[in-house]
Amino acid sequence: MPTLLDLQHAVHRSLVARNDAELASHIIPDGLAPQSRLNIYRNTFVGTLTTALRLSFPAVYRLVGAAFFESAARIFIEAEPPDSAYLDDYGETFPDFLARFAPAASLSYLPDVARLEWCVNRALHALDVEPLDLARLAAIDPQDQSRVGFVPCPSIGLVRSTYPVDAIWRAVLAQDDDAMSKIDLRSDPVWLLIERRKSGVDVIRCTAQAWRFASELFATRPLEAAIDAAPGVDASILLADHLAAGRLVDFKFVDLAGANAPEVNP
Amino acid sequence: MFPHSAVLVAERGPIPAKAGIGLRFPHHQAVIDTRPDIAWLEIHTENYMGGGAPARCLEAIRRDYPISCHGVGLSLGSAQCLDRAHLERIRRTIERFEPGLVSEHLSWSIIGGHYLADLLPLPMTEEALEVMCRHVDQTQAYLQRRILIENPSSYLRYRHSTIPECEFLAAVAARTGCGILCDVNNIFVSASNHGWDPHAYLAALPPVAIGEIHLAGHTVRQLDDGKVIRIDDHGARVIPEVWMLYAEALDRFGPIPTLIEWDTNIPALDVLLGEGGRAAAVLDRVGKRVSHADAA
Repeated sequence: MPTLLDLQHAVHRSLVARNDAELASHIIPDGLAPQSRLNIYRNTFVGTLTTALRLSFPAVYRLVGAAFFESAARIFIEAEPPDSAYLDDYGETFPDFLARFAPAASLSYLPDVARLEWCVNRALHALDVEPLDLARLAAIDPQDQSRVGFVPCPSIGLVRSTYPVDAIWRAVLAQDDDAMSKIDLRSDPVWLLIERRKSGVDVIRCTAQAWRFASELFATRPLEAAIDAAPGVDASILLADHLAAGRLVDFKFVDLAGANAPEVNP
Repeated sequence: MFPHSAVLVAERGPIPAKAGIGLRFPHHQAVIDTRPDIAWLEIHTENYMGGGAPARCLEAIRRDYPISCHGVGLSLGSAQCLDRAHLERIRRTIERFEPGLVSEHLSWSIIGGHYLADLLPLPMTEEALEVMCRHVDQTQAYLQRRILIENPSSYLRYRHSTIPECEFLAAVAARTGCGILCDVNNIFVSASNHGWDPHAYLAALPPVAIGEIHLAGHTVRQLDDGKVIRIDDHGARVIPEVWMLYAEALDRFGPIPTLIEWDTNIPALDVLLGEGGRAAAVLDRVGKRVSHADAA
């Protein structure tokens, strides 16, 4: 008789690796082969997670078509099952999987479209967090200002691509063939900021310098590091914009090596 | 063990012994706009763990309807430890939406840190019973409230099972003080798939522990040898046999909050409300009989 733990590992091998050999011996056939009984659960396992990925990556789904998407999703699901039932959080590594997935190699912009969709998905579902109280910033000792590291709103995402993935993403979701045909894949790179506003999710194009500043800022690196990463930009204007848009929700004091000092609670 | 207590049951926004429906995303706006005549709504806990539009809609909806939180992902039957992060997400969701009932399943879905995205059947053994009871105890202690445990539909049985599922479920309720979410459709589906007697199943459940009833549709798959297997896909109307079993359940348990679930091929809100109306009519008849009996 298997222990509960051994049995559950055998079910994992059956559903994820399609190896029923051991598990089948523990199941009563009763007129239907154990493999057929296990197929019912396997179908739910793959089907539920494929649906979750399709909802999070609707433009990828349309770009590659249902059959291609389902076969790619199945390979991804079996290689990287989710770690919890909070499926809004499932699929973060799907773009990297697509980048390695040889049958998708001819669609060179696909992984970056997927990266954009993941940021949109995260923006849709991120927890609601109050913006930073500016009075707390004002109370910082001027000599500590360069050590301030900001905590971004959880709905914020940043994507850069050598392809105009924002235009591709919009045209695909709008099923706008005319717009799609006008997209020039050799046009300039895009630097994108994704965030949730009251009206929905916005995908905003930035300059390369503003994007570099934002990527340091939102990684809770000290303000000084963000300024160094984007020479020639007016950091005070960019920072004021981010604060006014509610993109920063907290701050800590961090040193330039990145080690966090204790969080302040003025 | 978590004690039985009226205080623990009477959380804010108690769920009345009336008909409710499962709240699904495609119906959010229609519910907000039309305020349909239905006594309560149930959500899938996992669908409202984040922020943004879903949570904002539910904030609006719950001002007018009692809400119940039904989870699919805690995996109470896992041989390994409960996922503390998921338990904390459930706690936060409950704190935010203040449901009248909180429920989970007699099943497992997580092993080795992987979520297998189905309500997988447990072997009905003393070991599994101990695991289940330990995790129900831990959950009730963490959430500081009583939960209900639902019987799942199943498509296989293990050779080493020794306890009938209905007795296993009753034992979990007796040992932990949890309530039972009696899914009448699941009883019908599993009984049909495994040759159980659905009436004996109902009779084995302790009436005082029944906190909620679920009703749903399922599909029938024809096998090569002429046999059928029933699949619980929540994608159709409740079938007549399940309505009859439901009436029998209410005869045994008295009026119990009853939910219509519909998760695949989700129809227009009116279709769900129609099914809710049918459940309400059965509840009405039983309610009248109970009040006559009280008067006599």
